[in-house]
Amino acid sequence: MREQMLKSILSDLNGASADIEASAIISADGLTMAALLPQDVDEDRVGAMAAAMLSLGERTARELTRGELEQVMVKGENGYILMSHAGKDAVLTVIARKEAKLGLIFLDAKRAAKSISEIL
Amino acid sequence: MKKYDNKIIFTGPVGAGKTTAIGAISDIPPITTDAAASDMTLNRKGYTTVALDYGVLNLDERTKVHLYGTPGQERFDFMWEILSTGGIGLILLLDNSRPNPVKDMQFFMQAFQDFLKHAPVVIGVTKTDIKAAPSTDAYAEILEKVGMRPPIFEIDGRNRDDVKNLVMALLFSIDPGLQG
Repeated sequence: MREQMLKSILSDLNGASADIEASAIISADGLTMAALLPQDVDEDRVGAMAAAMLSLGERTARELTRGELEQVMVKGENGYILMSHAGKDAVLTVIARKEAKLGLIFLDAKRAAKSISEIL
Repeated sequence: MKKYDNKIIFTGPVGAGKTTAIGAISDIPPITTDAAASDMTLNRKGYTTVALDYGVLNLDERTKVHLYGTPGQERFDFMWEILSTGGIGLILLLDNSRPNPVKDMQFFMQAFQDFLKHAPVVIGVTKTDIKAAPSTDAYAEILEKVGMRPPIFEIDGRNRDDVKNLVMALLFSIDPGLQG
């Protein structure tokens, strides 16, 4: 039931912009709660990496007095990975194409994160 | 005056006490990356390391040991690789109260086998007060069969001296001439 609701948020998110290629909701300790990822991607590894990145980001933000972490962004040759908190115990990961308009992706991700935190 | 910076890695299964051990010997407030557990870990404890633990042990004015702790779950094995880069030795903590600590040992020795080709390992067995067997001799016997003779100690991960002994044993096996 909850997974269905989370999945529907993800499919809305993926549908919101052609630039969003995949997304997933991950528990703070790195387990996938719901995911719409390409088939060749291992959910467990993505989950663990997102949790590790976000946790390191949080520590870095705090050590360098940037306050509470809002998001971690990774940019590669082929596009972006955006990780943000969806409530305290979950992480929303969005994978976007390199042409993506970041402002729009941020906005969509923020909206989705809010709906997710309301469900959890 | 020449300074020595050494990096060692603490690894082992969930709940063996890696975070606790680093906290026990670090001379700085350790950096931890705990997250609330939602998997099987929950049966053992509420929080689990998701990226790394970091602490520093100052052996003397010029010798600094950087302590890195890994997450325990296999899904974080990419962190094991990242963290062991540049390390000079490995401390493997085993939790005797887990269902099959011997298998845990074999699993981690296997996972770190490339690292162990050029760096030594010291094993610390924790929670022997909860379950005494296997003994350190039993572990040694199993490792002996595959030609490995690492130092093995029973330790309490909360005890600074116990953990420091492990680190010293590791440093001695790297440089036997070291002054304690």
